[in-house]
Amino acid sequence: MTNGWIDIKNTDMMLIMGGNPAENHPCGFKWPVEAKRQRNAKMIVVDPRFTRTAAVADLFLQIRAGTDIAFLGGLIRYAIENQRIARDYLINYTNAAFLIKNGFKLPEDGLYSGFDPAAQVYDKSTWNYEEGGNLTGKNRVADPPAATATTQPGQTPAPPSLPPNVAYDAALEHPRCVFQLLKKQYSRYTPEMVERITGIPKDQFLKAADLFTSIRKDGDTRKAGTIIYAVGWTQHTSGSQIIRTAAMLQLLLGNVGRAGGGVNALRGHSNIQGATDIAGVFDILPGYLKVPIPTDQDYATWIKRTTPASSKPKEWDSWNYWSNTPKFAVSFLKAMFGDAASKENDWAFSYLPKVDREYSWAHIWDDMYAGQVKGLLAFGMNGVAIGPNSQKNIDALKKAEWLVVCEIYPDETSSFWKSPGVTPDAMKNIQTEVYRLPGAGFAEKDGTFVNSARWLQWKWAALPPPGEAKVDQEILARIFLKVRELYQKEGGKLPDPILKLAWNYTDPYNPSLAEVAREINGRALADVTDPATQQTIKAGQQLPGFAFLRDDGSTSSGNWLYCGSWTEAGPLMQRRGTEDPSGLGIYPNWGWSWPMNRRVMYNRASCDVNGQPWDPDRRQVWWNEAQKRWLGNDVPDFKADSAPKDHMGPFIMNPEGVGRLFVPLAGMADGPFPEHYEPIESPIANPLHPNQSNNPVVKKYKSDMDKYGTPEQGFTVVCTTYRLTEHYHYWTKNNPMNVQLVPEMFVEIPAELANEMGITGGEKVKVTSARGTYLAKAMVTRRIRPMTIDGKKVYQIGVPIHQGYRGIQEDAGKVPRTVANMLSPVVTDPNAYTPEFKGFLVKLEKA
Amino acid sequence: MSAASNVAQSSPTGAIERYTFRERVMHWITGLTYLYCLATGLAFYSPHLYWLATMLGSGPTSRFWHPILGVVFLMGTLWMQNLWRRDMEIAETDRRWLDRVENYIANRDELLPLQERFNAGQKLFYWLMFYGALLLLLSGFFLWLPEYIPRQAAWIRGVMVLIHEIAALATIGAFIIHVYMGVFMVPGSMTAITTGFVSRAWARTHHRLWYMRATGDAPARK
Amino acid sequence: MSNGPLDIKAISGHAGPVPGRNTSRTYDVCKLIDVTTCIGCKACEVACLEWNGYPFRETVFDNTYQTMPDLAWNYYNLIRFNEHVDGDGTVSWLMRKDQCMHCAEPGCLIACPADGAIVQYSNGIVDFQQEHCIGCEYCVTGCPFNIPKFNSATKKVHKCTLCSDRVGAGLEPACIKACPTGCLHFGSKDDMKALAETRAKQLREQTSHHNAGVYDPAGVGGTHVIYVLHDIDHPERYGGLPKNPRVPWTVRLWKGPLKWLGDIAIAVGIAGVAAHYIRYGPKKITEPESGETAETAKKGEPQ
Repeated sequence: MTNGWIDIKNTDMMLIMGGNPAENHPCGFKWPVEAKRQRNAKMIVVDPRFTRTAAVADLFLQIRAGTDIAFLGGLIRYAIENQRIARDYLINYTNAAFLIKNGFKLPEDGLYSGFDPAAQVYDKSTWNYEEGGNLTGKNRVADPPAATATTQPGQTPAPPSLPPNVAYDAALEHPRCVFQLLKKQYSRYTPEMVERITGIPKDQFLKAADLFTSIRKDGDTRKAGTIIYAVGWTQHTSGSQIIRTAAMLQLLLGNVGRAGGGVNALRGHSNIQGATDIAGVFDILPGYLKVPIPTDQDYATWIKRTTPASSKPKEWDSWNYWSNTPKFAVSFLKAMFGDAASKENDWAFSYLPKVDREYSWAHIWDDMYAGQVKGLLAFGMNGVAIGPNSQKNIDALKKAEWLVVCEIYPDETSSFWKSPGVTPDAMKNIQTEVYRLPGAGFAEKDGTFVNSARWLQWKWAALPPPGEAKVDQEILARIFLKVRELYQKEGGKLPDPILKLAWNYTDPYNPSLAEVAREINGRALADVTDPATQQTIKAGQQLPGFAFLRDDGSTSSGNWLYCGSWTEAGPLMQRRGTEDPSGLGIYPNWGWSWPMNRRVMYNRASCDVNGQPWDPDRRQVWWNEAQKRWLGNDVPDFKADSAPKDHMGPFIMNPEGVGRLFVPLAGMADGPFPEHYEPIESPIANPLHPNQSNNPVVKKYKSDMDKYGTPEQGFTVVCTTYRLTEHYHYWTKNNPMNVQLVPEMFVEIPAELANEMGITGGEKVKVTSARGTYLAKAMVTRRIRPMTIDGKKVYQIGVPIHQGYRGIQEDAGKVPRTVANMLSPVVTDPNAYTPEFKGFLVKLEKA
Repeated sequence: MSAASNVAQSSPTGAIERYTFRERVMHWITGLTYLYCLATGLAFYSPHLYWLATMLGSGPTSRFWHPILGVVFLMGTLWMQNLWRRDMEIAETDRRWLDRVENYIANRDELLPLQERFNAGQKLFYWLMFYGALLLLLSGFFLWLPEYIPRQAAWIRGVMVLIHEIAALATIGAFIIHVYMGVFMVPGSMTAITTGFVSRAWARTHHRLWYMRATGDAPARK
Repeated sequence: MSNGPLDIKAISGHAGPVPGRNTSRTYDVCKLIDVTTCIGCKACEVACLEWNGYPFRETVFDNTYQTMPDLAWNYYNLIRFNEHVDGDGTVSWLMRKDQCMHCAEPGCLIACPADGAIVQYSNGIVDFQQEHCIGCEYCVTGCPFNIPKFNSATKKVHKCTLCSDRVGAGLEPACIKACPTGCLHFGSKDDMKALAETRAKQLREQTSHHNAGVYDPAGVGGTHVIYVLHDIDHPERYGGLPKNPRVPWTVRLWKGPLKWLGDIAIAVGIAGVAAHYIRYGPKKITEPESGETAETAKKGEPQ
């Protein structure tokens, strides 16, 4: 979330799409309700089915799963056409005015400039800003087509980089300025086109577009609108680009950085935000530092590659906060390896793994299925049930040598060898050695959760783990210490990362999480002084914030973003202060929010260019001319002494300092602007460009288990998967109370389709995709309507995911032992590697 | 048809048998179960009489047995119907008797037609109790197990409550008279329904036709 | 909110004085259910079960999100899910938390014959006292909302207590505490009524629910559980909420005029036979023990 849960109460307008907060985030949903009740805020819900969120919305639109970009692109077009944009914000806080290189081509045919069809990747050199100066009021003649970039034979071109002095047109009129390109890109997303692709009737789309953009009606800059989403957006082959489209829309409307605004991702697990922050993904290190790759031969190369230089109009300023990357990196390495990391040995950079290719979730299972992964340590995740293509994961595990599962219940993954279809004979042939470790439940552990609003909140264990169950850190520590013992005894190819890992915990076999949290915050290894304030932190003291981090080895911090969470003042994440002086729901003394306890990110953008709030009733931060400082109810997310006249951009994490309507260079794999591509399995060819229907850089997997269906094969029904309020993933089918609320899973089927097929509610049905089948009872409903997609009648059905082959009802033989993800395809978004769990094709039959 | 239609051998004292053992058992089963249902029913009927339920065990105990003994009461009634139906048939003479019922009330029995085994008042009482019992059981069934009534038909239970109450009140009125007459107004009645025997004088006084038929003193009826 | 000790103002099947009768509290308690912000999450269902200590009961899928078809003796609180399609095709999904309405004129209490089995506290809560319940289920007949449920094993009837145990200790009912969206409110009847009216007005003026209103049915003297509905003219769409609930006329007749008439009739009956005895006395045996009978018979037979 750029903002936070409570901040939603400040909004005037909500677009909830790709998420179902009423069902999956019911506690947080109090804030949208609060906005409705206290501010008469409007709520628009766009979803493939009428959900419990839709039940309390002001307007509901039923969209075909996987067509969100078409809808959002249509909104962008509508906002521009109808002057419902925040022009000052756009010019000064986004790259709308920046000029793009001659030679950049929009995807009228489905492809941006630079596509290499053989490798299915883009050469992104034209996706860049033009070098130059202020062109406002100057040359606006369209350029001749650029000559094809030529490379001298035998010469490797230098990797393209952003120009330090970007050309711009503050009048937004140059045909190659980002705004004009954006306008052109989305001019194709007419209400008629939106209807053809999404199935949302034109009049309904226009109603929603008018309502959502009404906050900028007649030049109003005071109102704020928010966009709320969850995995309904991420779980597509265009997932990252859907979210980008939302971000662009919010930038156009000037909603980012403002109370009641922002782009707000709702996290589906209690600590998924924390997992991401601390590097739950293969391509980052803690604090979103970029992971080294094989060409990073030494520390300097790595740092040069990953530390951006600022790129902006000469007259403007940019803080470019990632220029501090070396400080974060060295402090991280000091936290990892302690004294073993020194300037002399490149801060032990060589101990870090170099990631040579994609190691995403889908790849891990694909590699295991190919016999290349020998074992799997599954901690608190049920890989088989999570899918996609659960049967492939089951078959992959059959090929592994060992599997360790740490869980609180026996789950599908640790029972893969007795999954449906495995005969007693076949079972004998499964050689995988399975270990089950009894883990501790969340209430049996202390530590922090990081919520969607980026708050670190400490929790205390309510009761000890039962029986032989152990807390995670004890299990991990014991495994680590055993592995280290083996390295000590037997050596190995590269023992140092293991042998020299800093492990200075009071009880090395069961490190206290308080110690780990202090280590993550970081401390001074020598006295460090802040040049601005002259405050000195003595060696050994906890650091008060990441401004103190150094790249000379005098500080250590496990994750720079969390620096400031456990200072000399104590564990700030344990604070429970309920004061809210501003009334904006900031609660500065409750827990601790990264970065530096800011509740709304980029909050400089809540003020106009002169540093005064767009809405005087919602004052987050402001420039105080007398003190020459930024002050605020919230912590200013900005350089505290940068005067408005310096024109420093509010988006300090970008080298441009401004928000990106256009993402230059390597930012996105599949295009600087989002373009609608059909899901990998789609009932129609893309009406925008039928010859380039899918995302061109998305790669299908090639194993014999990876099959993709087409309407011609009979897979004509669009299927989407989701969770229910009453259950939590694959856990609560072990809990009688949850089972009582929803005793068995179902398939939500439009009444019209059920009528056609003669299916009645409660009857058993079979859903089949190219990969597998799923059995459940029919829930015949009028909450999903038939759709007309590009002139074709299309039905959508919904499959809640919470069924498996292990649970109270499953064990009692009362429900079919099938897993929803038997249906879903292994194909991922090229930017975030999230599988396409939503919007694949199936056929429906009576079972 | 029934044994009671004949008179048993005269007893040594000259008394004659009016009610056989079976009839007496039948009567008292019916009477006592009615009495129980009356007492518990009154307890449920009026807060001022709720102490009756407490005296008879407890509220729940009374609620538990009331419908069950109600069924026993009905079974007794059906048995009674089996034994006495013919004796209870209302004849022309009964109508004449009823026309002059004020004479009966005023103890001027000599002005009334001669009566068979049961007089018209008894017959009326019988039929009122018989149909009352049927109604009580029918309505009582709905009160007994209301959870099986679908919500759409909930109004039925309300109607049944009324029927139960009205039927009960009707039988109570008759029952008061019955008890009064049996215990106070017609001496010998209690002896008859307990020992089974009445004196010949009693029989001749109150049920002359029956007496004549039973003892063979007179031609058969009609 | 603390409501102090619970004074009783009405007792079922009770002949004597009622301690709290005619005492007036500063306020009645009230639960406000803003149906327009209910998300059907069932937190109230779970909270209710957990507070009352009721265990798992088996349910079956029935083509609905609703946990079970109806309330149960150990399930006081059920969200009813109803899909509704308007004339213009607009779909709505109505979710209403169903439980005892705590009527000001409780049909259950009126119908109940068992002394003390149902009490009405002066704060408005209608509470079943199972130790006095005789299991006659007249309350089921008396209730216009179909709330009380019978436990056939214990022969006792149960329903929502509005957490009288919690309220008596100054806490809000468990469902209120669990509700995540603020759809449920608890306070004095006056405050809740005002809040509900404000919300209904907001809905009428600021949203497309131009027919929003407050459900506080006068037919049962008002209730201590009130609803804000999107469409006050169609409460039946919310899983059979009666439009104009009243204690059934049969129950009113039965517990009212008919009871007094019956009382009088019984009294008159007893007095009548007593008077008869005094006036006429018992019948005499007029016949001899033996002798001529035919003559006597002839003589006695009138023409």
